[in-house]
Amino acid sequence: MSYKERLTRLEKLLRVDNLSKRGNTNVGGDSPNTAENQEQDVEETNDSIDLFELKNLVFHGLPGDSQYRALVWRLLLNYLPAKSIKSWDEFLVKKRNNYKHFVNDLLVIGEETRERNFDHPLNPEPDSKWQVFFKDNDVLLQIDKDVRRLCPEISFFQAETAYPNEQVVSGKMDRLHKRVQSVVLESSNVIRKGLGITKINPKGPMNQDGAETGEYHWEVVERILFIYAKLNPGQSYVQGMNEIIGPIYYTLANDPDVTWRENAEADTFYLFTNLMGEIRDFFIRSLDNSVSGIKRMMEMLMDRLKLRDQAVYAHIVKLEIHPQYFAFRWITLLMSQEFALPEVLRIWDSLLSDHKRFDFLIDLASAMIIHIRTELLTGDFPSNMKLLQNYPSIDVRDILTLANSFSTSS
Amino acid sequence: MSYAYLFKYIIIGDTGVGKSCLLLQFTDKRFQPVHDLTIGVEFGARMITIDGKQIKLQIWDTAGQEAFRSITRSYYRGAAGALLVYDITRRDTFNHLTTWLEDARQHSNSNMVIMLIGNKSDLESRREVKKEEGEVFAREHGLIFMETSAKTAANVEEAFINTAKEIYEKIQEGVFDINNEANGIKIGPQHSPTSPSSPSGGPGSSPGSGCC
Repeated sequence: MSYKERLTRLEKLLRVDNLSKRGNTNVGGDSPNTAENQEQDVEETNDSIDLFELKNLVFHGLPGDSQYRALVWRLLLNYLPAKSIKSWDEFLVKKRNNYKHFVNDLLVIGEETRERNFDHPLNPEPDSKWQVFFKDNDVLLQIDKDVRRLCPEISFFQAETAYPNEQVVSGKMDRLHKRVQSVVLESSNVIRKGLGITKINPKGPMNQDGAETGEYHWEVVERILFIYAKLNPGQSYVQGMNEIIGPIYYTLANDPDVTWRENAEADTFYLFTNLMGEIRDFFIRSLDNSVSGIKRMMEMLMDRLKLRDQAVYAHIVKLEIHPQYFAFRWITLLMSQEFALPEVLRIWDSLLSDHKRFDFLIDLASAMIIHIRTELLTGDFPSNMKLLQNYPSIDVRDILTLANSFSTSS
Repeated sequence: MSYAYLFKYIIIGDTGVGKSCLLLQFTDKRFQPVHDLTIGVEFGARMITIDGKQIKLQIWDTAGQEAFRSITRSYYRGAAGALLVYDITRRDTFNHLTTWLEDARQHSNSNMVIMLIGNKSDLESRREVKKEEGEVFAREHGLIFMETSAKTAANVEEAFINTAKEIYEKIQEGVFDINNEANGIKIGPQHSPTSPSSPSGGPGSSPGSGCC
């Protein structure tokens, strides 16, 4: 299929014409709206999206200039009901209202507690609202530090969002990081692995008078992660979640369609929640033997490597380079720390389109090892460790193609 | 490159205290103000010279967050030295030292040399933990102590090298069983495997004698 054909196919699968009629203007930009196309659509007045076919197509890369990525990910992560496009408007209103309630219930109530007298900060009762407040702040402090160092090679997260939380902007609700301000990093400059330089500002965006006005994108991410931690106390916040939410929020907040883009925060929360539901074992039961646990994933990686490249496998084993030394991070973070963001997005298109999610991740990891086999075979322990922990910058299509050849042959 | 000994280190301590920055300053001589989060472990290596001998250091830098503690524990075994790091501008990172130490002592071999490091000494104006407090804690728990700055590189070389000196001395004294790789020490390929003890051959060298 040519590129153009693939794009047409995607638009047809997404029923782009149908979508624009829903009032979501601009979905797909200048989508073909010719008489022939409309006639074709009349033949399939079906209201559903074929997820199976969508995965088959997107697995090999998302056609178009990323303009459909946010919509596709909403479908792949089982957020938007693919079975009924008609239900989306109602569904989205409900979900986004729910999120608003989470923000109000979990963040604003804390404000009131401080103003009331029945409870006080030295109250030792564990269910004292103040005790909860302090415990929350430990979690918040961790989140705060991590979101500030999110994707420093691009300026996006340090830029101001056009859609801040109104209560924060109007001063009705404190900025989350104000709660932990005394301990916040004071980094003025941020540098990361030679990819570029950006600035980190310890405060919210300011107007000319020096008063804080809007919100930075990282403040939005901080709020989502904090709400997730509050709603999932068993798991709370684990480092690395910031790396998982980063590509999702970036994608949704850069949707070319404004009606989707302005709801990036709420929708990111649900996409992130759904994704964490699938990969939570990587995060909490780190060393267990369950089928989906990280240990099992690493064993599968070594088994497949052995089948596909006996020489590299034997060399790595001989040097005692265990998969937990490098593949732990690869798998836990879905490769998000190994490559620059644009490549990560491309990789995630395939990972999320995997029919046996996240089996392809293992194929990809083995392809990454085999792709640098020449260097690995001549390297000793330290040099190979460096190579695997700082994966060279490559054209990710090469490893995706290699990984795909494994999954189709086996 | 050939070496007389290989020592394995582990770097531990709360998240954000500067573990990865210390490692980077020691191995690459550069400072990176905002480092990627460490998920799992990161690895670094460098050659140093002690007593005219080449010693290779292999250093495992660990993730600080509680959730990764079980992974960190699996790296204690097989470490000859540990750098236990806190941040002098954050009292809580100092308060957690006891927990870290208990964990380290419980999961490592009993001879592991532990260096206590108060990092970020360049941020004097934001200091929350006095140098004397670090010294007292170190003395009470039998650790070596040093304040460092991964940013200015102050004392970073010394921290890694003094730890190695301590390990080297323990080898001379015959405290370490250097034939047991679980102790985090390996004899270099140039050394004859039939005479594993040091050339000066301390009389008390009795491999496997454990702690004295």
